[in-house]
Amino acid sequence: MTEEEAFEFVKNTLKEERITPYHKNEIEIVHSVEGCINCGLCINHCPVVAAVGVDRFTGPRSIAVELSRSPPEFWSTADKIYLCTGCGTCREVCPKNVNVPEVVNLVRARIFEHRPDLVPKGLHMVREIIVEHNLAFEPWEDPEEKVESRDVRLERLDIPYTEDIIKKNAEVLFYPGCQAEERAQEVREAAKVVLNYFDVDYTLLDDMSCCGLPSALMGDDETSQRLAGLLKEKVAGLGVKKVVTTCAGCTSNISDISLQDQWSIPVYHMVEYLAEEVGLDRLKQALGSSKEFSEVTVTVHDPCHLIRHTSRRTMQDAIEILKVISGVKVAISEAEDSCCGGGGLVAYHSKDVADSVVQENLISIDKTGAERLVAPCPLCTAQIEANLFKSGSSVEVDDLMVFIAQRLPKK
Amino acid sequence: MAGLAAGTIAAENGLETLMLRTGQSATAYSSGAIDIIGYPPEGLALKEYLPDTEVPFKTPSDGLRAILTLFPFHPYGIIGFGADDDKVVESVIAHVKESISWLKERLAGSCAALIGGFERNIYPITVLGTTKPTCLIQETMWSETLNANPDNVLIFAGFRGHAEFNALSTTRAYLENQLRTGKPPHKVGHCVLEISPFGKPYNISSIELARHFDHDGSMVDLAAAIKKHVDQLGATHVAIPPVLGIEQALQNKAELQKELGVEVFELVALPPSVPGFRLQRAMDRTFKNAGGTLLIGHQARSAIFKNDMIESVVAQSPRREVTISPKTVILASGKFIGGGLEADENGIRETVLDLMPVTTNLHPAEEVRPVYHTNVFSLSPDGHAVLGAGLAVDMDFRPIDADGVERAKNLFCAGSILAKYNYSLEKSGLGVALSTGLAAGRNAARMAKEVS
Ligand SMILES: Cc1cc2nc3c(=O)[nH]c(=O)nc-3n(C[C@H](O)[C@H](O)[C@H](O)COP(=O)(O)OP(=O)(O)OC[C@H]3O[C@@H](n4cnc5c(N)ncnc54)[C@H](O)[C@@H]3O)c2cc1C
Ligand code: SF4
Ligand code: SF4
Repeated sequence: MTEEEAFEFVKNTLKEERITPYHKNEIEIVHSVEGCINCGLCINHCPVVAAVGVDRFTGPRSIAVELSRSPPEFWSTADKIYLCTGCGTCREVCPKNVNVPEVVNLVRARIFEHRPDLVPKGLHMVREIIVEHNLAFEPWEDPEEKVESRDVRLERLDIPYTEDIIKKNAEVLFYPGCQAEERAQEVREAAKVVLNYFDVDYTLLDDMSCCGLPSALMGDDETSQRLAGLLKEKVAGLGVKKVVTTCAGCTSNISDISLQDQWSIPVYHMVEYLAEEVGLDRLKQALGSSKEFSEVTVTVHDPCHLIRHTSRRTMQDAIEILKVISGVKVAISEAEDSCCGGGGLVAYHSKDVADSVVQENLISIDKTGAERLVAPCPLCTAQIEANLFKSGSSVEVDDLMVFIAQRLPKK
Repeated sequence: MAGLAAGTIAAENGLETLMLRTGQSATAYSSGAIDIIGYPPEGLALKEYLPDTEVPFKTPSDGLRAILTLFPFHPYGIIGFGADDDKVVESVIAHVKESISWLKERLAGSCAALIGGFERNIYPITVLGTTKPTCLIQETMWSETLNANPDNVLIFAGFRGHAEFNALSTTRAYLENQLRTGKPPHKVGHCVLEISPFGKPYNISSIELARHFDHDGSMVDLAAAIKKHVDQLGATHVAIPPVLGIEQALQNKAELQKELGVEVFELVALPPSVPGFRLQRAMDRTFKNAGGTLLIGHQARSAIFKNDMIESVVAQSPRREVTISPKTVILASGKFIGGGLEADENGIRETVLDLMPVTTNLHPAEEVRPVYHTNVFSLSPDGHAVLGAGLAVDMDFRPIDADGVERAKNLFCAGSILAKYNYSLEKSGLGVALSTGLAAGRNAARMAKEVS
């Protein structure tokens, strides 16, 4: 048997055994598991364990020392592995940098490939939408209704509508993400107002497509890679020099794929862009003297994809920005950096778990006495808003971009 | 602990202080009890040179005197390096005493409020039924009267389905110890309580119980569950694993005592314990309240040196790199668990700045095979010498090279990254981290002020 024949033979045997060899870019993740010292520190911090207990979700240590160890048996983890919100808390507290959230994606990818019947139905439904529309949410059937919905939202929030700009060779690509494109349209519009106000030379995509994060989270690597490739093409075609997004998940994912696929351009969340490129002085000039709004105490929610998947500096930027807005007092909640339960696509199949996770946030938000909560991510905003509303809380919720756009002087 | 102590004191001195941290570590693992010094690093040397000193040390003062006499290069010894020869011991004792007061003050009223003092070591009971010499414990672990009266009756109370604590085996081990030493209490019982945070009587972890007990009203059920056992056995004291809450533990202890009319206290647990969690949380808050900025999830990767100073430090988060240009740098990255040191078959390495590590005998350790510095028995009274490896420092806690020259004038280090500090053997862990953290923090703050 030649070497090549031997290789093919082994590959086929693995296939029969339902084993997919690790890709090159997965090896580091797999090796990180070897560093696990089984200490259990991560369990104390996992928000899903805190919300539903180790009996329902065995937690990050179990993922590191048990669930990740036997490729042929990955399918048997399906009742647990889809409950991880991918918040990254375990990785952040782990003294050995064990990359549990990525291990979860890696296991989900193997289940998706070999036992799609075990992938929760809710995820299959999302997948169908993504495959058909290249978007994580079903697009509006009637484009006019979409415009109407947008206008109603903008009117309610007193945010002006500005025309979309789509052009080549702009400095910045503003990428709103699927949620702001299809659902929370006010966030997309608010970001445009902010970019316009500060004379940023930007463009939108002429045909918005998902960055691939939801597909990666459900284990559909093929679609996720296709979408990443598509976005790369579009970015290259536009000739932009920077990518700016208002979604936390898009920030971390596009930062990642741009590095892996060598886009050679920086990716920012809008708060980073405002703090670093626009500068706090200009923000203060614009936002620091308005008397139009009454004083307000706001509290913040730190999106996991910003603080734990990108950098905690992003939220320092967000707080600095809030502090320059006149009349705004920031009250930090004890659970400001606790996962809202909206991640990992958990809400699509186990809403009770996602909603239990957010409870800790709700209690702490109420304790701050703040009238308003802001979050620099439309997904976290939606998850917290819905649950605060359900709990009867009077705290209002805004995406940070909406909060800023409302307070900018009208141009 | 070392980094937080150093950072807090620097921030309290009016300096802008940024702390980088990747992962939590030994401080969070700890039992939350602050050991100053329990045993000498090498028991035989003590017997030979200081035969009258009792081991475990009765007081931190006894321990420090012994350590400073026999091992002057121990990190506690370095604290006293600047003092006149005849004042070294007293100056170290004064510094450690002050460090203890400093910590107690900072943690007063927090979820990790401490009790105990420099005058004596105390011997709290562990979840294994043994006792351990330590200096400060969390107030929830304190029993004022347990050993005072021979008629006291102690119950160990566990929870059904909580595999981290077995009340029966703890009772047996504890009783054996009491019979051997003849100390009270002599009457000891146990009980298993049916409290389940998620409604199932199995697979219950400590943190779940602690979170459950943080909820309002949770003590009513717990008190009712304990009460029947207290009445049945005529108990005067109840010991439970340290799960009385994260934020509410002290209030819960008080409420239980009021309801039951007996003393209730938590045991010292194995890692990672809820009191360790409380300690880390309370220390983080102390640092932030002092004005420090905590940048979690950022790993210091390297530094740029210019002349004999560190100009900047480069740190990596999951998807960003940051460069920080501080006036002074304190390296408190821990030992093998914290990640400050790494060892393999080729030798021992300092992970961030590639500084020169030394063995516990202060020889260069870069090419030392760790296996030759371990004991054949994993549990041995002599411990493992490799755990005493670390950095050698000058009298200001600046790491030095083989020629005794500091690597950078503005680089200090503290805590378990220091050489000649084998905390698992000495029971000196958080005490050395605290005391050296404060010393290095002050030195760094002084220098930062001088250069500005
Ligand atoms: C299991 C266990 C139980 C213990 N129990 C007790 C006890 O009950 N009482 C007691 O007094 N002592 C105890 N000790 C000892 C005590 O915990 C340690 O001596 C003490 O915590 C050391 O503190 P430190 O600050 O030096 O290191 P650590 O607490 O280890 O902290 C080091 C920190 O540096 C961070 N770090 C490392 N590298 C980098 C980098 N490149 N960039 C950024 N951050 C970095 C780590 O993530 C970590 O947060 C125990 C130790 C262990 C391991
Ligand atoms: S993943 Fe990290 S924190 Fe969790 S058990 Fe393993 S080493 Fe400990
Ligand atoms: S990523 Fe978050 S939810 Fe998932 S195991 Fe880690 S801590 Fe738990």
